[in-house]
Amino acid sequence: MTSTRFWRQAALVLTLACVGFAGVASARIKLITLPVRERVEVRLEHEAATFVEEERIVPLLAGANQVDFSWANTRVDADSIVFRVLGEEDVRVLSVSYPPGEDALVWHVYAPKTSAARVRISYLLGGISKKYNYRALVSHDEKSLTLAQYVRVRNDANEAFTKAGLWLRPEQRIERQLGRAQTREILIERWREVPVVKTFSVGEAVYGWLDQPRQKLKVALHYLLKNDTASGLGTAPLPAGKARIFQDDGAGANAFLGEDWGRRTALGEEMRLFLGLSRDVVVERKVHKNERERIEGNLFDQHIILRYRVENFKNGSVRLYVEESLNSLKRSFVDNSPRLPQWAIGPQTNFQLTVDARRTSVDALVFYAQIPPAKDGKAEKTDLDLHLVLKNEW
Amino acid sequence: MFGDGMFGRLCLLVLAPLFLLAGARAANNIDLSTVPARDSVQLTIYNSEDLTLVRERRVSSFKKGSNQLQFSWANTLIDPTSVDIRFPGGGLDVSLVDTTFDHDRHQALIWNIRAEKDLAVQTEISYFTSGLTWSADYTVIANADESHAAIENFIRVTNHSGENYENAQVRVVVGSINLVEKIAQLANIPVHSVPLMEADARKQYRQKAVRGALDRARKEGVAEQAVLAASATPKAIIKEGLSEYFVYTIEGTETIPNGWSKRLRSFAAAEVPISVVYRYREREYGDQLMRLYLLRNDEKSKLGTTPLPNGQVGIFRVSADNGLSYLARQTIQYVPIGDRLELQLGTDADVSFELSILAAERDEIWLKMRKPNVFKRVGDGTVAVDHRARVAGWNERVTFARKVVNSTRRPIRLEVRRAFVGDAVFRSALELKRHDFQTVEFAVNIAPEETLELLYEVIFRRGRNEKQSRLHLEHGEVARPTRL
Repeated sequence: MTSTRFWRQAALVLTLACVGFAGVASARIKLITLPVRERVEVRLEHEAATFVEEERIVPLLAGANQVDFSWANTRVDADSIVFRVLGEEDVRVLSVSYPPGEDALVWHVYAPKTSAARVRISYLLGGISKKYNYRALVSHDEKSLTLAQYVRVRNDANEAFTKAGLWLRPEQRIERQLGRAQTREILIERWREVPVVKTFSVGEAVYGWLDQPRQKLKVALHYLLKNDTASGLGTAPLPAGKARIFQDDGAGANAFLGEDWGRRTALGEEMRLFLGLSRDVVVERKVHKNERERIEGNLFDQHIILRYRVENFKNGSVRLYVEESLNSLKRSFVDNSPRLPQWAIGPQTNFQLTVDARRTSVDALVFYAQIPPAKDGKAEKTDLDLHLVLKNEW
Repeated sequence: MFGDGMFGRLCLLVLAPLFLLAGARAANNIDLSTVPARDSVQLTIYNSEDLTLVRERRVSSFKKGSNQLQFSWANTLIDPTSVDIRFPGGGLDVSLVDTTFDHDRHQALIWNIRAEKDLAVQTEISYFTSGLTWSADYTVIANADESHAAIENFIRVTNHSGENYENAQVRVVVGSINLVEKIAQLANIPVHSVPLMEADARKQYRQKAVRGALDRARKEGVAEQAVLAASATPKAIIKEGLSEYFVYTIEGTETIPNGWSKRLRSFAAAEVPISVVYRYREREYGDQLMRLYLLRNDEKSKLGTTPLPNGQVGIFRVSADNGLSYLARQTIQYVPIGDRLELQLGTDADVSFELSILAAERDEIWLKMRKPNVFKRVGDGTVAVDHRARVAGWNERVTFARKVVNSTRRPIRLEVRRAFVGDAVFRSALELKRHDFQTVEFAVNIAPEETLELLYEVIFRRGRNEKQSRLHLEHGEVARPTRL
């Protein structure tokens, strides 16, 4: 078989021709051997690139050898190819030639004696991608969940890899076959009994209105789970991915609750999974007071009291998170100036609120309050007055 | 042979005297010619100008009297005005009478040569051609703990000149010769007039300048390598420094057919010490935390024998199974001997880096009263309240938090550089350093799997309070603001 013919048929091919290397151009037709792949590692750790490393045993004759490598119909990045000889220090690459109009190169390799050299050839390969996804099964009492993490590896590289080592992180290797034009979904890990907190959240700027004329806010439902060892997680950041959420219905079956895009979650951070909107917790938001207190000249403080009327139709108490955007309030009640809002919680606040310091900033106030359950099937109306002062405006 | 016979592009013919009548060649369509073989060829590739000086030597036989030598270059990128012939060692026995460019023979010329006797003499033909280029590239492989790296530098020569060069000695020029000054000197005109020169004249002087520079390089000691047979060891690339540039000469000879590229190792250095650092420098790397390898092109780092030419760097790390992990690829600019080299690895998904503005407070607020040039500080109570007074100056105290989560299993070093425009005070318990009049820098070490919140406060003086444009640094504790 001539190398020319072989190149037209195959994708990634390593061929060896024992010819003198002086006449590169005239040696395009030659007798060749085809060293097979001994192993192949597909490294998917990099966010934006797939790096393949294959190992082959190449028989070399004493003296100069010519090793051809071609990658017709694949997306090998020619500038990324690295050729390494393992354990044979005297075997050396003398030069590399790149023929015109071909996806190929020729290594000129010197061997001091006739031997079989173990070589590794590495290259960036386009067409292989990975995506993470999660499946969460929440317990019937919504206190814990089982979290399964999957990776989906898609191979459109026009090259098959049998028994490939797939590297997802520097220390995480999974051995699988990766066929040509094939997608493979692999379970990476399953964590059981992960504590979960269900939250109810409102915020005019963040979640919007459910019924604006009636001043009713959307009430967003989330599950919060923490990526730490106390939760049985915390071994590595959780990559971003779609999460499908199911709940144990208590009768031996699972109910699909919804799906959300889980953001990448660093160690110690929380993953928030949005479930949808609650209909059992109703929150009205009114601007109860909007007054300007002059200090001197054109300098003033703006006093705003936001009244949240909350009705909890559920049998249990709920933790209600409120997220307010100070910039949005400033734009509504003061002006559009680029000054950062200087704000404080005023004395007319009528309830015990707990500020979520981690999520509160110059622009965002995030707090929660505990809302009592319905009594005798009737929801109690709870009025929460939040007094905000936008200070030193003009 | 590629150069003369096989492809018939660049050809030197000794035309048989039987048919020759000086100045009357146009009528002759049947020629007899002999083809002197190319004995040696030297390519000096001057990348920045897409210019290569080719010097080739052949032995030509002449009979006593008038001779004609035809040189043709069909389908190549040779500049016809640059073709030159010399007879080294020919003494007074052989001389060039004139050169004829026949209008019906494109891409060819005829040298009319006079020989005092029958002789065979060495002929050196030189010319400029385009289409030969070279580039440098690097492979950097860091060890598993990223303390050292193995670095290899390669020179790749690419031939799109239309001509095959067989067994050519290859020299590449690193750096750029200031041709404008040389052209001005040769043309005897001021430097600022060079861009105004006519294109043909400028080209002529440019070639002359390059020839001069390269000739000087040769005379001043850049190694003229002997033609060696194919070696069993990787070829050395000999680097010679001259003035503001380097000439790299590839040991032995190389065959580079038209359309092909050839890549040779220029140098290799093992165990080059590197350090890993995470940097936030918006001006240099954008709004992201950049992971870098830092090293120096000096002897201590087992480099430093030559400047590092511009080129692409592929950066890898040895992984657990003695395999390679791909980290990044970037293009570096010329690195002089002794200078630092920064290799940008991109962001690290295992190190998160967030900036929050926690709070803003305004104080030192000044009002401008209705009367001209009368100002009052709010709260002083020294002047009667004037409802028509306007805020004219204030200080804005902004508290920032940089949260860094190191999810890796290694300690990391973080360096932050931030610029603040205007009149401002930067206060923090961190160890601060001034980078320039409006830029502060600080550095911290973060333990494996540690989360760190770096707090700092910037007091911006606004309006009439702004007296100058500079950032003043102050050491002091900054507390997280409480809201209740």
